[in-house]
Amino acid sequence: MPAARASLPSAFGLVLLLALVPVLAPGNITLLNLGFLTFLYVAQGVAWNILGGFAGYVSFGYAAFYGLGAYTTALLWLAGWPPLLTYPAAGLVAAAFSLIVGGPTLRLTGPYFSIATIGVGEAMRILMLNLDRITGGASGLNLPTAVPSKAWFYLLALLIAAAAFTVAALVRRSPFGLGLQALRMDLEAAEGLGVRTALFKNLAHTLSAFIVGACGGLYATYLQFVHPDTVFSFTQSISLVLITLIGGIGTLWGPVLGAAVFYAVQDYLQTSYPTFHLLVYGVLLILILLFEPRGLVGLAGRLWRPLAAAVSRGQAGAGAGRTG
Amino acid sequence: MFSAENLISVGIAALLTAGLYAIMSYGLAIIYGVMKVINLSNAGFLMLGAFLALVYFQRWHLDPVLGAFVNLPIFFAAGWIVHRLLVRRVVTALPIASLLLLFGLWLVLQNLALAVWGGEDQSIITAYTYKALPVFGFRIPVTRLIVFGVALVVLSILHFALGHTYLGKALRATVQDPVAGLLVGIDTEQINAMAFGLGTAFAGFAGGLLTLLFSFNPDFGGTFQLKSFTIIVLGGLENLAGVTVGAAILAFAESYAVLFMRASLQNVIAYALLVVALIVMPGGVAQLLSRRRT
Repeated sequence: MPAARASLPSAFGLVLLLALVPVLAPGNITLLNLGFLTFLYVAQGVAWNILGGFAGYVSFGYAAFYGLGAYTTALLWLAGWPPLLTYPAAGLVAAAFSLIVGGPTLRLTGPYFSIATIGVGEAMRILMLNLDRITGGASGLNLPTAVPSKAWFYLLALLIAAAAFTVAALVRRSPFGLGLQALRMDLEAAEGLGVRTALFKNLAHTLSAFIVGACGGLYATYLQFVHPDTVFSFTQSISLVLITLIGGIGTLWGPVLGAAVFYAVQDYLQTSYPTFHLLVYGVLLILILLFEPRGLVGLAGRLWRPLAAAVSRGQAGAGAGRTG
Repeated sequence: MFSAENLISVGIAALLTAGLYAIMSYGLAIIYGVMKVINLSNAGFLMLGAFLALVYFQRWHLDPVLGAFVNLPIFFAAGWIVHRLLVRRVVTALPIASLLLLFGLWLVLQNLALAVWGGEDQSIITAYTYKALPVFGFRIPVTRLIVFGVALVVLSILHFALGHTYLGKALRATVQDPVAGLLVGIDTEQINAMAFGLGTAFAGFAGGLLTLLFSFNPDFGGTFQLKSFTIIVLGGLENLAGVTVGAAILAFAESYAVLFMRASLQNVIAYALLVVALIVMPGGVAQLLSRRRT
């Protein structure tokens, strides 16, 4: 991507612009909520993309990290911790869990890894539903009601999304990121060239699990309620797959664009057809796989080939901002 | 709890469940065996099969067992079309592309069903739904016996067809080695389409049969799909006869495990077995890896 070099400065500009929203419209709760949830998905999509896009390991099990993060924050918060301190802890718990499951499952290749992650994710959901002493089981857990303002949540989610994007951009450029892309293209060749594939895969998995776990924690404080069937749900896992694939898997801006579109479509359709958005995403996913594997980012590049550089640098960013 | 009588009745229940598991996993196994494609849309067709059986039952008072047979040609055609329009275009790409494509198709089917039939649980109550037959002193629900019997008959026919017809032999040859199959004059493209049609037909058939035992909604099928993966992995993936073995292993493991743990944890057994079998079954996985590289 020729515009990759300019990605960080333009992202930085975009973040500054978006940070002005709560200052200019502090009373617009709808906008702040929409922004919060979009940024939360941006952060997770970007994180998922580190393993799924750069390394090519498509996981259908990230709800396990999200849910563990949400419950870590919930339990620590109930134990009297200030919310802000629980987020790193939530990330660490998710990261630790990713090491446990990643060790064996990341040995599987391609679709077999994907199938195994569905198994892990669903097993976690059922286990958590049954651990009712800790998780509240099928009735969930109510959390303290004293929470910071919507603007605070908005800014914190923006910060996490920006941090995740920076991490992904840095990873992509580093030898680590090149190693991930090499092992995606040919595992054995990468190994032959001296890439420590097992270490790199697990590192990418852990890094993205940390971010998603922290997002889960943030979500728990935002909602003031956690339930195993929502935070550990299969829908939560596939959201990340869809966001990244629709936006453009393996690209830097893809998950950002994907999350903005994902949340805008969901929000627009939710009022009239509560689950109809999944139909739209299903069709989009099929079309993208058949015609444009690089997703919306690839489509944008193709439509405005002469302006491609400007699009991925400026307009793609501004477009994501408008819909978000 | 562990009386001999109890253990035997659990064993009978497990055997009956194994028949059900085998019939719902065969479609997945055929498609995987021939094309090395993991058909995530299987659950969607299973669910559609159940809803169509409901439609026949409501409109024409057609028994669900007959409904399942009516489903066979309809879903064969549907599978054929899906192969022509979608799957054929991505089989040469990375294996993950076909998995994701069929996952997209599952989402579409699921949400179309939601738009048409709504999200409520549906069920089919026939005259024999609540009847039970005494067999060797154990009372067994008639519906379970019917499902087991039908599964046994259909699977026997399939085995015969795979072993004794040209198409069956060509299909098995393609499972073993597609290139060699091409060399001896098998139209593998045609076999692929056949396999996808047949696999989908089995999903629709199993969906129709399942209405005898379970209520269903558009989300129906996800759990069964994951169990089917467990079964075909346990059975050795490329081994069509192994499906029966895998189904039996899973059914017995689940049934007896309930004696030791909470019933609500039962599904965890299948998922844990899936992950463990994928990782430690050297035969299955090694075969897969070598196949993927060629």
